[in-house]
Amino acid sequence: MGGDYAPQEIVKGAVLAAQKDDVEIFLVGTANVLEKELAKHKFTANGSSIHIVGASEFINENESPVDVIRRKPNCSVAVAAKMVKSGEADALFSAGSSGAAAISAIQFIGMVDGVYRPALVGSLGSFAPNTVMVDLGANVDCKPYQFLTFAIAGSVYAKRFLGISDPKIALLSTGSEESKGNDAVREAYSLLKNSGLNFVGNIEGGDILTGKANVIVCDGFVGNVLLKFYESIGAYAQVWIERKLRKHPPLRALARLLFKRLFPATKISRETEKQGGGILWGIDGVVKIAHGASRAPQIANAIESAKEAVKAGVVETLKSELVRFNQGGKS
Amino acid sequence: MNIEEQIKDILARITRVDKSIITRQSTFKEIKADSLDVVQALVAVEETFGIEIPDEEAQKFQNFGDFVTYVENKVAQGQKV
Repeated sequence: MGGDYAPQEIVKGAVLAAQKDDVEIFLVGTANVLEKELAKHKFTANGSSIHIVGASEFINENESPVDVIRRKPNCSVAVAAKMVKSGEADALFSAGSSGAAAISAIQFIGMVDGVYRPALVGSLGSFAPNTVMVDLGANVDCKPYQFLTFAIAGSVYAKRFLGISDPKIALLSTGSEESKGNDAVREAYSLLKNSGLNFVGNIEGGDILTGKANVIVCDGFVGNVLLKFYESIGAYAQVWIERKLRKHPPLRALARLLFKRLFPATKISRETEKQGGGILWGIDGVVKIAHGASRAPQIANAIESAKEAVKAGVVETLKSELVRFNQGGKS
Repeated sequence: MNIEEQIKDILARITRVDKSIITRQSTFKEIKADSLDVVQALVAVEETFGIEIPDEEAQKFQNFGDFVTYVENKVAQGQKV
């Protein structure tokens, strides 16, 4: 039960999700706090589609996420992960510490065979609707072979959610030549080139939105910086243009209209909002994490999309693609 | 298999490095083990040998050899009891 606005917004979001969707929700956290919060929505745990699971410990943002394993194995996110492992729940969702959620998932649910660490995969939406990026922040430092599993996960996402039959995969670097980039990227280039995947080589930052690649692979440090910059463009561009046109009210009104109706940039954050966060790909179960600042509507969306991921069988698809890849077949 | 080989297997499995590069002198950094790898290895070793390794002891390990020596001593102590 983490998040900047927990438990109020999380519980409200769960109630919203339960009201509009056929979904059974387990709220994991301090039981009496959750019961009080649920009661505010005239929702009681008994006999409804929302249940409460007590967990006395929690991980603060200033604590090391690794503490989940040895010091706080009964914190709420760890308890939730164990419920997925045991089959009591189909998916885990957290708006708390992303690191703690990822580490709980790794330790208590486990990884899909052949995957070292989970990655966050996401579509770039408006400007590049047929492009996904991996990793969006789960792995700040990456080993070269991780880029290979990122490419496979991104490929599965592009096929499954964007309907692209043979996604083009590119490595994000500082130049198109094989020799460009840091050590990990250069080694990853060689692995991807010889992988049998539809690898189109390196692309630079300026190529991200051009559609040259459907799957852009990078480490989580680069991916997370880019994601947050990308999400900020729409709102910032609107403010900037309106300020520039301050002395020209008719043009300013037109600009506002264009942003509202036509300009795709403002949709970027709306799409992110709609998805309600990202799936941790590579975990042997559906794990969805959201921004800590998520409010009830985003929480509800995230719960709904976690359910869709379970129904779509994303974990099973990734497993079968990895098996096919390891057997020498093209992913 | 002796204790050193068992710990080497655990560490190699978790970090995905080739077991042959792990020596008693190897630091965790040299075998590219990050903090999560180290904690996972500690948990796996504790479960394998039925021992407990307090964090304050684990933080003293300078290299793989220190880790192995600690576990060997702890297992030997347990066997005497």
